Amino acid sequence: MTDNQKQEYAADESTDDPTTDDMAIRTDVSESVSASGPTTSGAPVVRAENVDVWYNDDQALQDISLEIPENQVTAMIGPSGCGKSTFLRCINRMNDMIDAARVEGDLHLRGKNVYDDDVDPVALRRRVGMVFQSPNPFPKSIYDNVAYGLKIQNKDGDYDEIVENSLKRAALWDEVKDQLDTSGLDLSGGQQQRLCIARAIAPDPEVILMDEPASALDPVATSKIEDLISELAEEYTVVIVTHNMQQAARISNKTAVFLTGGELVEFDDTEKIFENPDSQRVEDYITGKFG
Amino acid sequence: MATERGTIESFGHVSRTAGTVFRYLLLAATLFGIVALTVLLIYVANDAIRPLTADPGWHLTFLLTLVLPTLAVGAYLFRTDPASFRFGGAIVGTLAVSTMFAGGVAMLFVDIVEPVTWFAYVLALCLALGGVVVIERLDRRLPFLVRFVAAGVIVLVSLLVVPGAVTSLPVYPSDGVLLTLSVGAPIALVVGRYVAAADGRRRRVAAVVATLVVVGLGAFVGPLVGVTPVPATVVLAVAVVPTGGYAIGRIRRNPERRAGLGLAAVILGGTVVGAVAVDALGFAGPQSWVDWGFLTSAHSGTAANAGLYPAIGGSILLMVTVAALSFPLGVGAAVYLEEYAPDNRLTRFIDVNISNLAGVPSVVYGLLGLGVFVTYLGQSTGTVLIGGATLALLILPIVIISAREALRSVPDSMRQASYGMGATRWQTIKNVVLPRAFPGILTGTILALGRAIGETAPLIMIGAPNVLFSLPTALSSKVSAMPLQVYAWASLFASEPFYQAAVPAGVVVLLIVLLSMNSIAIVLRNKYQSDQ
Ligand SMILES: Nc1ncnc2c1ncn2[C@@H]1O[C@H](COP(=O)(O)OP(=O)(O)O)[C@@H](O)[C@H]1O
Ligand SMILES: [Mg+2]
Repeated sequence: MTDNQKQEYAADESTDDPTTDDMAIRTDVSESVSASGPTTSGAPVVRAENVDVWYNDDQALQDISLEIPENQVTAMIGPSGCGKSTFLRCINRMNDMIDAARVEGDLHLRGKNVYDDDVDPVALRRRVGMVFQSPNPFPKSIYDNVAYGLKIQNKDGDYDEIVENSLKRAALWDEVKDQLDTSGLDLSGGQQQRLCIARAIAPDPEVILMDEPASALDPVATSKIEDLISELAEEYTVVIVTHNMQQAARISNKTAVFLTGGELVEFDDTEKIFENPDSQRVEDYITGKFG
Repeated sequence: MATERGTIESFGHVSRTAGTVFRYLLLAATLFGIVALTVLLIYVANDAIRPLTADPGWHLTFLLTLVLPTLAVGAYLFRTDPASFRFGGAIVGTLAVSTMFAGGVAMLFVDIVEPVTWFAYVLALCLALGGVVVIERLDRRLPFLVRFVAAGVIVLVSLLVVPGAVTSLPVYPSDGVLLTLSVGAPIALVVGRYVAAADGRRRRVAAVVATLVVVGLGAFVGPLVGVTPVPATVVLAVAVVPTGGYAIGRIRRNPERRAGLGLAAVILGGTVVGAVAVDALGFAGPQSWVDWGFLTSAHSGTAANAGLYPAIGGSILLMVTVAALSFPLGVGAAVYLEEYAPDNRLTRFIDVNISNLAGVPSVVYGLLGLGVFVTYLGQSTGTVLIGGATLALLILPIVIISAREALRSVPDSMRQASYGMGATRWQTIKNVVLPRAFPGILTGTILALGRAIGETAPLIMIGAPNVLFSLPTALSSKVSAMPLQVYAWASLFASEPFYQAAVPAGVVVLLIVLLSMNSIAIVLRNKYQSDQ
């Protein structure tokens, strides 16, 4: 990723939303980059420092610090209600949309704190792709679904080509290449989810966030999605929430274990977490003694 | 605890008497309602159409050519191939409703707007839209404000200058040609869009050209067979093309429903053959009060000659005005309240009051219209504009409520997906929420218009004339409306002949218009629900 691209997520002039201009980045981006070191491969793409989240007066995340490496799959596991989705939504500031939510602490995306005052959350989200729990394609044609991000961002380039490439990378092209004009809602659940993945990668984001992307799918569709995620990690940084431990073990390089109360109990290489965790609580959770 | 458990001899009985009684009471209530409504409708229709005054031979002829074949083919299809049966019915229904609609539009071009004026405005609108699209496409990098101003200038200039320039030309093409271009072309574009979506882009050109040719035929062939160009083009453009397009499109997608065409052919053919036959055999039809004369002439002192024409035209103009005012206002308010407004006390206060306003009696709105538009703004009484504005106020709360309902039915996951892609709120509303909610909004608006078209009290309050002998031709002309005309016949001209002839005939026409509007809304809603 070039410095130029980095600048874009804070200062995107192509949008027709007048508010963007007001919120355009005003600090020198290269400065903040050099502060966090050069962004070579292996440097963290996302770095959270002491992130706390409250919903009204209930604390959902406590003092989370972690670093998500580039071009790897990082899994977040833990019992339901422990704040995995909340953390994911911190990264692209989707929590802004929830009135009750309040986020404190720093969260850097490629060296830039996304909670700085000068960051426009809309511009930020254009650099971060998101895939949701249940497939949610738009009631538009398959083509328009994939091209949606390009259109709203006024991207240059050959849309036909980008759509084709994205669908290929989402392992869906062969199934839909003859029916790009038909509605995305006519596809099966698994195909819809791969369409959503194609939609998320079409604008070429820095990170792809996935919130339990396979939990609404049958086993066959699930394994297709899992294969796909492993392939995506060659080009993208993937953060995936799952409550399925086998899934995390199969596809991720790093695993973060959240436990009830919203604490990050352990964050390490996936093998280490599953074979020899430091914490007794994590071991109990992994072996199914609780949670 | 060890209880003794032996074999069970009987489980006993639980009484259902109360439930049974309740169930049959409900059935009785339902039946009573349905039967009462049916009897009422038959009674009015019988008074208006008077089928029993026809020659028995007339009935017999149509029984043989239309009713029996339709029943036979229909029953056969219904049992062997229900999908085709519905398809056949839909063709006939579409043709009937769209022909009625075409009648209204033809009325517009015959008596209200000169085709050249219409053409001039359509042209101006096209130029304005074309300019805006070109600006959008050419310079994405220009700041939003510059593009906005440039688009505004183009729109204003073309809307202000073009109509005047075109209408002041010394010579212009014949009405048929003008209408082919200004009515046929927009319809051809819509057809083209559908074809492009269903059949790929390549077929679009063929569909557009075919549509234009068919509509153009009206202008040139119509006069040869004795139909003037204006109604001919309008009927082709508004009734024949949509029905044909629907039938062809459906058959391309579901060829197995071809049999439905047979049913439609039997019904339409039977009607034509029957009409020719009774004519040749000299059988007199029913002396219906609803006939061509009733639909095309104005009020008269003798009940048998009284007609509804100016009232029908007035109702159409009122509906156009009401729709033009209430749709943007209502949908705009709904989008604001649903998508932008914060959830605070003021919003909730507005919420409750909109619901209350929907229940305010229409006579109160009439008083409001009189007070605001006539007394305060100094408009003259009873014009199309203030009648339309008053009725628009009347249905505004209903439009807002139903549009909000439609917006609320757009799943939040769609909005989340859009925001997650980095869309602004406006982009999300424009690209995701509104397209998805649109059919629902349209359905609600049509149903609300149905309420407005039947209103009498507000029109009386704003001083609409009871009797009008010609169609209103401008927003500032006096207007009458169907319910108002019927009311006038029943009150001012109260006499036995009017009660027997004009009143039921007027009521039947009003009901037919209303029911077909509602059926359009219901068809839209069903289609919308099955698309999800
Ligand atoms: N929109 C919200 N409003 C209030 N509380 C919320 C909201 N979303 C989540 N929470 C609370 O935050 C905690 C963490 O939720 P979540 O992040 O969804 O957990 P997970 O994804 O791990 O199941 C839960 O206790 C939940 O009740
Ligand atoms: Mg969750």
